[in-house]
Amino acid sequence: MEDLLKPDYGVLVLTICNFLLLVYLLKKFAWNRIISGLENRERQIAEDKKQAQEARTAAETIKRELDEKLAQISDEAAKRLAEAVKLGEAQKEQILSAAKEQSERLIEQAKTQIEAEKNKALSDVRGEIARTAVLAASKVVQQQMNEESAKSVVARVLEEIKEK
Amino acid sequence: MDVAEIISHHILDHDWGVTLSGFRLPITTHTVTLFAVSVILLLGLHWISLGRQSRSGRLLTTLIEEYVTFIRDGIVLPNMGQEGKRFLPYFCTLFLFVLCSALAGLIPNMKTATANISVTAALALCSGGLILYCGLKFHGIAGFLKGFIPSGTPGWLVPLIFPLEVISMIIKVCVLAIRLFANMLSGHMVLICLLLIIFVVGQMHIAAGAGALLPAMGLELFMTLLELLVAFLQAYVFTLLTSIFAGSVIHTH
Repeated sequence: MEDLLKPDYGVLVLTICNFLLLVYLLKKFAWNRIISGLENRERQIAEDKKQAQEARTAAETIKRELDEKLAQISDEAAKRLAEAVKLGEAQKEQILSAAKEQSERLIEQAKTQIEAEKNKALSDVRGEIARTAVLAASKVVQQQMNEESAKSVVARVLEEIKEK
Repeated sequence: MDVAEIISHHILDHDWGVTLSGFRLPITTHTVTLFAVSVILLLGLHWISLGRQSRSGRLLTTLIEEYVTFIRDGIVLPNMGQEGKRFLPYFCTLFLFVLCSALAGLIPNMKTATANISVTAALALCSGGLILYCGLKFHGIAGFLKGFIPSGTPGWLVPLIFPLEVISMIIKVCVLAIRLFANMLSGHMVLICLLLIIFVVGQMHIAAGAGALLPAMGLELFMTLLELLVAFLQAYVFTLLTSIFAGSVIHTH
Protein backbone atom coordinates (compact mmCIF):
# COMPACT_ATOMS: atom_id res chain seq x y z
CA MET A 1 0.00 0.00 0.00
CA GLU A 2 2.97 2.32 0.53
CA ASP A 3 3.37 2.31 -3.27
CA LEU A 4 0.30 4.52 -3.41
CA LEU A 5 2.26 7.59 -2.40
CA LYS A 6 5.47 6.70 -4.27
CA PRO A 7 5.64 8.83 -7.41
CA ASP A 8 6.57 7.18 -10.65
CA TYR A 9 8.63 9.80 -12.47
CA GLY A 10 8.28 8.05 -15.80
CA VAL A 11 4.47 8.22 -15.52
CA LEU A 12 4.76 11.83 -14.34
CA VAL A 13 6.84 12.91 -17.33
CA LEU A 14 4.73 10.91 -19.77
CA THR A 15 1.53 12.43 -18.33
CA ILE A 16 2.93 15.94 -18.66
CA CYS A 17 3.94 15.26 -22.27
CA ASN A 18 0.60 13.62 -23.00
CA PHE A 19 -1.40 16.46 -21.48
CA LEU A 20 0.59 19.31 -23.03
CA LEU A 21 0.51 17.59 -26.43
CA LEU A 22 -3.24 17.14 -26.05
CA VAL A 23 -3.64 20.84 -25.18
CA TYR A 24 -1.64 21.81 -28.25
CA LEU A 25 -3.44 19.43 -30.62
CA LEU A 26 -6.89 20.25 -29.30
CA LYS A 27 -6.14 23.95 -29.57
CA LYS A 28 -5.00 23.50 -33.16
CA PHE A 29 -7.65 21.06 -34.35
CA ALA A 30 -10.69 21.76 -32.21
CA TRP A 31 -10.80 24.58 -29.69
CA ASN A 32 -9.73 27.39 -32.05
CA ARG A 33 -12.46 26.44 -34.51
CA ILE A 34 -15.10 25.93 -31.82
CA ILE A 35 -14.21 29.13 -29.94
CA SER A 36 -14.05 31.27 -33.09
CA GLY A 37 -17.38 29.82 -34.26
CA LEU A 38 -18.86 30.57 -30.87
CA GLU A 39 -17.50 34.11 -30.81
CA ASN A 40 -18.70 34.75 -34.35
CA ARG A 41 -22.16 33.61 -33.44
CA GLU A 42 -22.11 35.68 -30.25
CA ARG A 43 -21.00 38.70 -32.27
CA GLN A 44 -23.75 38.01 -34.80
CA ILE A 45 -26.32 37.69 -32.03
CA ALA A 46 -25.09 40.91 -30.39
CA GLU A 47 -25.29 42.69 -33.76
CA ASP A 48 -28.77 41.32 -34.44
CA LYS A 49 -29.82 42.35 -30.96
CA LYS A 50 -28.44 45.83 -31.52
CA GLN A 51 -30.20 46.09 -34.89
CA ALA A 52 -33.42 44.83 -33.37
CA GLN A 53 -33.07 47.40 -30.60
CA GLU A 54 -32.49 50.17 -33.15
CA ALA A 55 -35.45 48.99 -35.23
CA ARG A 56 -37.56 48.94 -32.11
CA THR A 57 -36.49 52.46 -31.18
CA ALA A 58 -37.25 53.65 -34.74
CA ALA A 59 -40.63 51.91 -34.69
CA GLU A 60 -41.43 53.49 -31.34
CA THR A 61 -40.48 56.92 -32.71
CA ILE A 62 -42.66 56.40 -35.79
CA LYS A 63 -45.51 55.18 -33.61
CA ARG A 64 -45.20 58.22 -31.37
CA GLU A 65 -45.22 60.52 -34.40
CA LEU A 66 -48.21 58.73 -35.90
CA ASP A 67 -50.03 58.89 -32.57
CA GLU A 68 -49.38 62.61 -32.41
CA LYS A 69 -50.60 63.06 -35.99
CA LEU A 70 -53.65 60.93 -35.30
CA ALA A 71 -54.43 63.01 -32.24
CA GLN A 72 -54.07 66.18 -34.31
CA ILE A 73 -56.32 64.76 -37.02
CA SER A 74 -58.89 63.72 -34.43
CA ASP A 75 -58.86 67.19 -32.91
CA GLU A 76 -59.19 68.78 -36.35
CA ALA A 77 -62.04 66.45 -37.30
CA ALA A 78 -63.85 67.15 -34.04
CA LYS A 79 -63.41 70.87 -34.57
CA ARG A 80 -64.68 70.72 -38.15
CA LEU A 81 -67.60 68.55 -37.13
CA ALA A 82 -68.55 71.04 -34.44
CA GLU A 83 -68.35 73.88 -36.99
CA ALA A 84 -70.47 71.91 -39.48
CA VAL A 85 -73.07 71.19 -36.83
CA LYS A 86 -73.13 74.86 -35.85
CA LEU A 87 -73.46 75.94 -39.50
CA GLY A 88 -76.20 73.38 -40.06
CA GLU A 89 -78.09 74.64 -37.02
CA ALA A 90 -77.85 78.24 -38.28
CA GLN A 91 -79.01 77.27 -41.76
CA LYS A 92 -81.87 75.27 -40.28
CA GLU A 93 -82.98 78.25 -38.20
CA GLN A 94 -82.73 80.51 -41.25
CA ILE A 95 -84.73 78.14 -43.47
CA LEU A 96 -87.38 77.66 -40.79
CA SER A 97 -87.67 81.39 -40.24
CA ALA A 98 -87.98 82.10 -43.98
CA ALA A 99 -90.58 79.37 -44.38
CA LYS A 100 -92.57 80.70 -41.45
CA GLU A 101 -92.51 84.23 -42.85
CA GLN A 102 -93.60 83.05 -46.28
CA SER A 103 -96.40 80.93 -44.89
CA GLU A 104 -97.64 83.80 -42.75
CA ARG A 105 -97.59 86.11 -45.78
CA LEU A 106 -99.51 83.60 -47.88
CA ILE A 107 -102.06 83.09 -45.13
CA GLU A 108 -102.49 86.87 -44.83
CA GLN A 109 -102.92 87.23 -48.60
CA ALA A 110 -105.43 84.41 -48.65
CA LYS A 111 -107.37 85.96 -45.78
CA THR A 112 -107.50 89.37 -47.53
CA GLN A 113 -108.57 87.77 -50.76
CA ILE A 114 -111.22 85.72 -49.01
CA GLU A 115 -112.52 88.81 -47.21
CA ALA A 116 -112.74 90.75 -50.47
CA GLU A 117 -114.45 87.87 -52.22
CA LYS A 118 -116.83 87.51 -49.30
CA ASN A 119 -117.71 91.23 -49.30
CA LYS A 120 -118.25 91.23 -53.01
CA ALA A 121 -120.42 88.18 -52.79
CA LEU A 122 -122.44 89.68 -49.96
CA SER A 123 -122.93 92.89 -51.91
CA ASP A 124 -124.05 90.93 -54.92
CA VAL A 125 -126.44 88.86 -52.82
CA ARG A 126 -127.88 91.94 -51.16
CA GLY A 127 -128.53 93.63 -54.50
CA GLU A 128 -130.10 90.51 -55.92
CA ILE A 129 -132.31 90.06 -52.87
CA ALA A 130 -133.38 93.66 -52.99
CA ARG A 131 -134.22 93.42 -56.62
CA THR A 132 -136.09 90.23 -56.10
CA ALA A 133 -137.96 91.63 -53.11
CA VAL A 134 -138.89 94.77 -54.95
CA LEU A 135 -140.02 92.73 -57.87
CA ALA A 136 -142.08 90.50 -55.63
CA ALA A 137 -143.50 93.34 -53.65
CA SER A 138 -144.29 95.33 -56.75
CA LYS A 139 -146.19 92.43 -58.05
CA VAL A 140 -148.13 92.05 -54.75
CA VAL A 141 -148.92 95.64 -54.16
CA GLN A 142 -149.02 96.67 -57.78
CA GLN A 143 -150.72 99.89 -58.02
CA GLN A 144 -151.70 100.02 -54.31
CA MET A 145 -148.50 101.63 -53.24
CA ASN A 146 -146.83 104.70 -54.35
CA GLU A 147 -143.18 105.04 -54.93
CA GLU A 148 -142.52 106.40 -51.45
CA SER A 149 -144.15 103.59 -49.59
CA ALA A 150 -142.35 101.14 -51.83
CA LYS A 151 -138.99 102.57 -50.83
CA SER A 152 -139.96 102.38 -47.19
CA VAL A 153 -140.87 98.71 -47.57
CA VAL A 154 -137.63 98.01 -49.40
CA ALA A 155 -135.63 99.71 -46.63
CA ARG A 156 -137.37 97.66 -43.94
CA VAL A 157 -136.78 94.50 -45.81
CA LEU A 158 -133.13 95.36 -46.15
CA GLU A 159 -132.90 96.00 -42.41
CA GLU A 160 -134.41 92.64 -41.65
CA ILE A 161 -131.94 90.98 -43.98
CA LYS A 162 -129.03 92.69 -42.26
CA GLU A 163 -130.29 91.60 -38.90
CA LYS A 164 -130.46 88.04 -40.10
CA MET B 1 -7.77 -13.97 1.28
CA ASP B 2 -5.48 -10.95 1.61
CA VAL B 3 -7.81 -7.95 1.49
CA ALA B 4 -4.95 -5.42 1.39
CA GLU B 5 -3.47 -7.20 -1.63
CA ILE B 6 -6.79 -7.18 -3.48
CA ILE B 7 -7.29 -3.48 -2.76
CA SER B 8 -3.73 -2.70 -3.84
CA HIS B 9 -4.21 -4.68 -7.03
CA HIS B 10 -7.39 -2.77 -7.79
CA ILE B 11 -6.03 0.67 -6.96
CA LEU B 12 -2.35 0.59 -7.91
CA ASP B 13 -0.95 1.20 -11.36
CA HIS B 14 0.40 -1.81 -13.26
CA ASP B 15 3.59 -1.54 -15.25
CA TRP B 16 3.37 -3.43 -18.53
CA GLY B 17 7.14 -3.95 -18.41
CA VAL B 18 7.94 -2.47 -21.80
CA THR B 19 11.63 -1.69 -22.25
CA LEU B 20 13.56 -0.11 -25.05
CA SER B 21 17.29 -0.94 -25.21
CA GLY B 22 17.22 -1.75 -21.52
CA PHE B 23 15.52 1.53 -20.69
CA ARG B 24 12.17 1.11 -18.97
CA LEU B 25 9.29 2.83 -20.73
CA PRO B 26 6.48 4.06 -18.43
CA ILE B 27 3.79 2.10 -20.22
CA THR B 28 1.35 1.39 -17.42
CA THR B 29 -2.40 0.89 -17.12
CA HIS B 30 -2.82 4.52 -16.12
CA THR B 31 -0.71 5.97 -18.92
CA VAL B 32 -2.52 3.78 -21.45
CA THR B 33 -5.84 4.97 -20.03
CA LEU B 34 -4.67 8.57 -20.31
CA PHE B 35 -3.52 7.97 -23.87
CA ALA B 36 -6.86 6.41 -24.77
CA VAL B 37 -8.71 9.32 -23.18
CA SER B 38 -6.51 11.77 -25.11
CA VAL B 39 -7.10 10.03 -28.44
CA ILE B 40 -10.87 9.85 -27.88
CA LEU B 41 -10.99 13.53 -26.86
CA LEU B 42 -8.86 14.59 -29.81
CA LEU B 43 -10.83 12.64 -32.41
CA GLY B 44 -14.20 13.43 -30.87
CA LEU B 45 -13.63 17.16 -30.47
CA HIS B 46 -12.02 17.44 -33.89
CA TRP B 47 -15.04 15.73 -35.45
CA ILE B 48 -17.40 18.01 -33.52
CA SER B 49 -15.43 21.12 -34.49
CA LEU B 50 -15.87 20.27 -38.18
CA GLY B 51 -19.53 21.13 -37.63
CA ARG B 52 -21.26 18.22 -39.33
CA GLN B 53 -24.70 19.24 -40.42
CA SER B 54 -26.37 16.06 -39.20
CA ARG B 55 -28.78 16.44 -36.29
CA SER B 56 -26.52 14.61 -33.80
CA GLY B 57 -23.52 16.63 -35.05
CA ARG B 58 -25.33 19.91 -34.45
CA LEU B 59 -26.47 18.71 -31.04
CA LEU B 60 -22.91 17.83 -30.02
CA THR B 61 -21.59 21.14 -31.40
CA THR B 62 -24.17 23.02 -29.34
CA LEU B 63 -23.26 20.95 -26.28
CA ILE B 64 -19.54 21.67 -26.67
CA GLU B 65 -20.20 25.37 -27.28
CA GLU B 66 -22.26 25.48 -24.09
CA TYR B 67 -19.37 23.76 -22.31
CA VAL B 68 -16.86 26.31 -23.66
CA THR B 69 -19.19 29.14 -22.62
CA PHE B 70 -19.42 27.64 -19.13
CA ILE B 71 -15.63 27.38 -18.79
CA ARG B 72 -15.13 30.89 -20.21
CA ASP B 73 -17.90 32.76 -18.37
CA GLY B 74 -18.02 30.64 -15.23
CA ILE B 75 -14.36 29.95 -14.55
CA VAL B 76 -11.82 31.83 -16.67
CA LEU B 77 -13.22 35.36 -17.07
CA PRO B 78 -14.38 35.88 -13.45
CA ASN B 79 -11.00 34.79 -12.06
CA MET B 80 -8.51 35.88 -14.71
CA GLY B 81 -10.31 38.66 -16.53
CA GLN B 82 -9.94 39.31 -20.25
CA GLU B 83 -6.26 38.29 -20.02
CA GLY B 84 -7.41 34.75 -19.32
CA LYS B 85 -9.19 34.38 -22.66
CA ARG B 86 -6.00 33.31 -24.40
CA PHE B 87 -5.71 30.38 -21.95
CA LEU B 88 -9.27 29.20 -22.60
CA PRO B 89 -8.13 26.16 -24.68
CA TYR B 90 -5.92 25.07 -21.76
CA PHE B 91 -8.79 25.21 -19.25
CA CYS B 92 -11.24 23.56 -21.64
CA THR B 93 -8.80 20.70 -22.13
CA LEU B 94 -7.92 20.49 -18.42
CA PHE B 95 -11.53 20.07 -17.29
CA LEU B 96 -12.34 17.41 -19.89
CA PHE B 97 -9.05 15.59 -19.33
CA VAL B 98 -9.51 15.37 -15.55
CA LEU B 99 -13.18 14.44 -15.92
CA CYS B 100 -12.64 11.75 -18.55
CA SER B 101 -9.65 10.30 -16.68
CA ALA B 102 -11.83 9.93 -13.59
CA LEU B 103 -14.82 8.58 -15.49
CA ALA B 104 -12.63 6.04 -17.30
CA GLY B 105 -12.42 4.14 -14.00
CA LEU B 106 -16.14 3.43 -14.21
CA ILE B 107 -15.60 1.47 -17.45
CA PRO B 108 -14.73 -2.20 -16.86
CA ASN B 109 -11.04 -3.10 -17.38
CA MET B 110 -10.04 0.57 -17.29
CA LYS B 111 -8.54 2.46 -14.38
CA THR B 112 -9.10 5.83 -12.80
CA ALA B 113 -5.86 7.48 -13.82
CA THR B 114 -6.41 10.41 -11.46
CA ALA B 115 -6.18 8.00 -8.52
CA ASN B 116 -2.43 7.97 -9.22
CA ILE B 117 -0.32 10.59 -7.43
CA SER B 118 2.09 10.77 -10.37
CA VAL B 119 -0.74 11.68 -12.76
CA THR B 120 -2.26 14.31 -10.48
CA ALA B 121 1.21 15.68 -9.73
CA ALA B 122 1.83 16.00 -13.46
CA LEU B 123 -1.41 17.90 -13.92
CA ALA B 124 -0.60 20.10 -10.92
CA LEU B 125 2.88 20.79 -12.36
CA CYS B 126 1.24 21.88 -15.64
CA SER B 127 -1.05 24.20 -13.67
CA GLY B 128 1.98 25.44 -11.69
CA GLY B 129 3.76 26.09 -14.97
CA LEU B 130 0.78 28.05 -16.21
CA ILE B 131 0.69 30.14 -13.02
CA LEU B 132 4.42 30.83 -13.36
CA TYR B 133 4.01 31.71 -17.04
CA CYS B 134 1.15 34.12 -16.25
CA GLY B 135 3.20 35.83 -13.52
CA LEU B 136 6.26 36.24 -15.73
CA LYS B 137 4.27 37.18 -18.83
CA PHE B 138 2.21 39.93 -17.24
CA HIS B 139 4.64 41.31 -14.65
CA GLY B 140 8.16 40.24 -15.63
CA ILE B 141 10.53 38.51 -13.20
CA ALA B 142 10.84 41.44 -10.78
CA GLY B 143 7.11 42.19 -10.80
CA PHE B 144 6.25 38.52 -10.34
CA LEU B 145 8.58 38.19 -7.34
CA LYS B 146 7.32 41.47 -5.95
CA GLY B 147 3.80 40.07 -6.10
CA PHE B 148 4.76 37.63 -3.35
CA ILE B 149 5.15 40.54 -0.92
CA PRO B 150 1.80 41.90 0.20
CA SER B 151 1.50 45.67 -0.07
CA GLY B 152 2.11 47.50 3.20
CA THR B 153 4.49 44.85 4.55
CA PRO B 154 7.22 46.47 6.74
CA GLY B 155 10.71 46.15 5.28
CA TRP B 156 12.04 44.05 8.13
CA LEU B 157 9.25 41.48 7.58
CA VAL B 158 10.00 40.98 3.87
CA PRO B 159 12.71 38.29 4.39
CA LEU B 160 10.19 36.33 6.42
CA ILE B 161 7.07 36.95 4.34
CA PHE B 162 8.63 36.36 0.90
CA PRO B 163 9.69 32.72 1.50
CA LEU B 164 6.40 32.05 3.22
CA GLU B 165 4.44 33.36 0.25
CA VAL B 166 6.57 31.36 -2.20
CA ILE B 167 6.08 28.21 -0.13
CA SER B 168 2.38 29.02 0.10
CA MET B 169 2.13 29.12 -3.69
CA ILE B 170 4.05 25.83 -4.01
CA ILE B 171 1.80 24.24 -1.38
CA LYS B 172 -1.28 25.44 -3.24
CA VAL B 173 -0.06 23.64 -6.36
CA CYS B 174 0.81 20.51 -4.36
CA VAL B 175 -2.60 20.57 -2.71
CA LEU B 176 -4.19 20.57 -6.17
CA ALA B 177 -2.50 17.23 -6.84
CA ILE B 178 -3.19 15.73 -3.43
CA ARG B 179 -6.87 16.78 -3.36
CA LEU B 180 -7.64 15.19 -6.73
CA PHE B 181 -5.60 12.07 -5.95
CA ALA B 182 -7.14 11.57 -2.49
CA ASN B 183 -10.71 12.08 -3.66
CA MET B 184 -10.42 9.66 -6.55
CA LEU B 185 -8.47 7.10 -4.54
CA SER B 186 -10.83 7.14 -1.57
CA GLY B 187 -13.87 6.69 -3.80
CA HIS B 188 -12.35 3.65 -5.46
CA MET B 189 -11.19 2.20 -2.17
CA VAL B 190 -14.71 2.47 -0.79
CA LEU B 191 -16.11 0.84 -3.93
CA ILE B 192 -13.77 -2.15 -3.73
CA CYS B 193 -14.25 -2.45 0.04
CA LEU B 194 -18.02 -2.62 -0.40
CA LEU B 195 -17.59 -5.42 -2.93
CA LEU B 196 -15.16 -7.23 -0.65
CA ILE B 197 -17.75 -7.24 2.15
CA ILE B 198 -19.66 -9.90 0.21
CA PHE B 199 -16.60 -12.18 -0.07
CA VAL B 200 -15.32 -11.58 3.47
CA VAL B 201 -18.76 -12.31 4.96
CA GLY B 202 -19.18 -15.22 2.51
CA GLN B 203 -15.95 -16.80 3.80
CA MET B 204 -17.49 -16.92 7.27
CA HIS B 205 -20.70 -18.53 5.99
CA ILE B 206 -22.08 -18.87 2.51
CA ALA B 207 -25.60 -17.83 3.64
CA ALA B 208 -24.23 -14.70 5.33
CA GLY B 209 -22.40 -13.86 2.12
CA ALA B 210 -25.62 -14.25 0.13
CA GLY B 211 -27.43 -12.07 2.70
CA ALA B 212 -24.79 -9.36 2.38
CA LEU B 213 -25.10 -9.39 -1.41
CA LEU B 214 -28.09 -7.07 -1.78
CA PRO B 215 -27.08 -4.42 0.81
CA ALA B 216 -23.53 -4.38 -0.51
CA MET B 217 -24.69 -4.01 -4.13
CA GLY B 218 -27.08 -1.23 -3.12
CA LEU B 219 -24.27 0.63 -1.41
CA GLU B 220 -22.02 -0.07 -4.39
CA LEU B 221 -24.57 1.50 -6.73
CA PHE B 222 -24.92 4.48 -4.43
CA MET B 223 -21.15 4.93 -4.22
CA THR B 224 -20.81 4.63 -8.00
CA LEU B 225 -23.30 7.45 -8.45
CA LEU B 226 -21.42 9.42 -5.81
CA GLU B 227 -18.18 8.76 -7.71
CA LEU B 228 -19.83 10.13 -10.83
CA LEU B 229 -20.69 13.31 -8.95
CA VAL B 230 -17.22 13.50 -7.39
CA ALA B 231 -15.62 13.14 -10.84
CA PHE B 232 -17.47 16.21 -12.11
CA LEU B 233 -16.90 18.09 -8.86
CA GLN B 234 -13.16 17.41 -8.76
CA ALA B 235 -12.68 18.35 -12.41
CA TYR B 236 -14.48 21.60 -11.68
CA VAL B 237 -12.51 22.26 -8.49
CA PHE B 238 -9.16 21.53 -10.16
CA THR B 239 -9.93 23.84 -13.09
CA LEU B 240 -11.42 26.54 -10.88
CA LEU B 241 -8.50 26.57 -8.44
CA THR B 242 -5.99 26.68 -11.28
CA SER B 243 -7.77 29.71 -12.73
CA ILE B 244 -7.99 31.38 -9.31
CA PHE B 245 -4.25 30.90 -8.65
CA ALA B 246 -3.36 32.07 -12.17
CA GLY B 247 -5.71 35.04 -11.76
CA SER B 248 -4.11 35.92 -8.43
CA VAL B 249 -0.69 36.29 -10.06
CA ILE B 250 -2.12 38.25 -13.01
CA HIS B 251 -4.10 40.65 -10.80
CA THR B 252 -1.83 40.90 -7.79
CA HIS B 253 -3.93 43.51 -6.01
